Amino acid sequence: MNTRHFYVFARTVISISLILFVLSCNRQQNHDSPVFQQKRNTLFLFNWNNYIAPETIKRFEAFCNCRIAQDYYSDNEEMLAKLAAGATGYDVIVPTGNAVDTLIRQNVLKPLDQSLLPNFKNINPIYLNTEFDPANKYSVPYAFTITLLGSNYEKLQALGLPTDTWALIFEPEYLEKIKGRVTVLDSQRELMAAALRYLGHSINDNNEENWQQAKNLIIRAKPYWAAFSNTSYIRELAVGNLWVAHGYSNDLYQAALDAKNTGRNFTIVYSIPQEGAVLALDSMVLHRSGSHPDLAHQFINFMLEGKNSAELTNLIGSGNPNIEALQFIQPELTQNNAVFPDKASLDHLEMLHELDHKQRRLLSRLWTEVKLR
Amino acid sequence: MEVNKLPDSTSNFTKANCFNKWLIGGPPFLFLLIFFAAPSLIMFFTSFRFPGEFGGLAPISPAMDGSSAEYGLTLETYEFLFSDILYAEIFLKTFAIAAVTTLICLIMAYPLALLIARSQKRFRNLMIMLVILPFASNFLIRIYAWMIILGPESVLSHFVNAILGVFGFAPVTLLFSTFAVLIGMVYVHLPFMILPLYTNLEKHDPVLLDAAQDLGANRWQRFWLITWPQSLPGVFAGAALVFIPVLGMFAVPDILGGTGDILIGNLIKDQFLGTRDWPFGSTLSIILTLLVLLIAWLATWLARPSVRQNS
Repeated sequence: MNTRHFYVFARTVISISLILFVLSCNRQQNHDSPVFQQKRNTLFLFNWNNYIAPETIKRFEAFCNCRIAQDYYSDNEEMLAKLAAGATGYDVIVPTGNAVDTLIRQNVLKPLDQSLLPNFKNINPIYLNTEFDPANKYSVPYAFTITLLGSNYEKLQALGLPTDTWALIFEPEYLEKIKGRVTVLDSQRELMAAALRYLGHSINDNNEENWQQAKNLIIRAKPYWAAFSNTSYIRELAVGNLWVAHGYSNDLYQAALDAKNTGRNFTIVYSIPQEGAVLALDSMVLHRSGSHPDLAHQFINFMLEGKNSAELTNLIGSGNPNIEALQFIQPELTQNNAVFPDKASLDHLEMLHELDHKQRRLLSRLWTEVKLR
Repeated sequence: MEVNKLPDSTSNFTKANCFNKWLIGGPPFLFLLIFFAAPSLIMFFTSFRFPGEFGGLAPISPAMDGSSAEYGLTLETYEFLFSDILYAEIFLKTFAIAAVTTLICLIMAYPLALLIARSQKRFRNLMIMLVILPFASNFLIRIYAWMIILGPESVLSHFVNAILGVFGFAPVTLLFSTFAVLIGMVYVHLPFMILPLYTNLEKHDPVLLDAAQDLGANRWQRFWLITWPQSLPGVFAGAALVFIPVLGMFAVPDILGGTGDILIGNLIKDQFLGTRDWPFGSTLSIILTLLVLLIAWLATWLARPSVRQNS
């Protein structure tokens, strides 16, 4: 390519980019132009990926004549780390219990004004007064998930394996038959919790010896696992590449649904392991840096309406602490004990507590060992 | 990183010249001061602090109400790092991956760079353009593409396993393995090896090769005695450009790696985005930076002209 050709080429590239740029500007003008923003308030929501139904957002935006701007995280730690690094401006955040605890102790949450939340009464009392926020001064339950095991029912039946015990991902005797067809979550806390529960300890046990035991259990089982996976297991389970996956109830609901809708010749089942599991209750909280407290309360109250709350559950298959929402939720979800656990199952579930920085460093060290060995 | 001397700066030292020197060298110098030296210093101090209870850092001075037990500076983090063989292992593993990546890149890039350098002039720019073309799409998208290429249901996987099957070997999984990590690393960094090699090889005087041939040197001798020694600066530059970024890479093992593929980059990232242990993350970064500086210094030392002439 000589110089002249190069200029022709460069000019073409630049013109194409310019055209694309102009086009993209035009497209954005519909909702994002600054003029438009000035007219309407914006609620800044820091939320999990895919954790609110698009139609709910639309309805709220119409209801309050405002806009919802969302930032996303895929992990409580990620959210806390971003806040610790100085991220500000969020009106509402939706952290899990242990992260609520951290945020309260960090003194970065605004207390709720209960008088602005008439729908608060819709919440099932068993999900209120958690150990993290005794009188729900700061947090309003939003949705919950349970960390459990999903499996390919027909495959495990054929192999003569149970589907409701952590032994499935920890015992070499079982793993032998499903080697390379298992994934576990790439999460220090979740995997340790499963291992601790399997060893008969609380998920919040922080005795170092028990941690070491749990680590050894994990390292012994690791060669049989295909990968640590936080998202790809959903698809792989649904197409039949994986037979067992350690995952969240809402994701496994998705996998089961996908397998059913694509007419696979197997079913994906998921149940709470008999040893017990982690319950992750996500709550809406107000961050101190948020500058729209009224709008934030409006939003929380809106989300507490049964119909709005039910939309998320119907969309992603998460658990719902809202009693008024139940009538709007598909019966196959409300009847599923792994999504809406009964009292007996709830007794088997625990919520994770926050670790102090020494414990976090130790856990990170054990995790590094797990990854390296 | 050092500012290149202007050719006549010593012989013709005038005020204007000095001014020009600063005009040219100043901005990059300032840039590096602000965005390299200052952050490194901050990291250095952070590595001596206590981690804060909720992330961040514990205060330097004791709290007014005496509630915070830990404050000030400490060597604890360094003790923690050096008292544990585990972290030496992960450094070693990272360096091994970086070295293998560099070697594969060199073996793949050298013939290509040579081909480009010796092809007709009108094709050269086009070929260089093709080498750079992958940069036009996002790095992560290119890595995700490898997920599809190496996936268990991919054509490549079926092909490889069919061949292995013929010879009676058990089928292998390509994705989520150290092999996949190496492929990703080589793929991403290959252009960084090709470009400096090409720049170097392009400048070689073909007359030298003619002379060698006249004197009876065969193809191999001509390469090893003429081309290779002359290209060493390019080799070292390319090696540094590949080796050093690989050391800090965390996305590739995250996406393509299996249950055991953790590199130092992943560990550092996790200290900031997961464990919220800033001092430990900083300590790891400082050690890594020191090792990188050592290697960069070694590479420049090896590539300096006198060494080449002696060898």
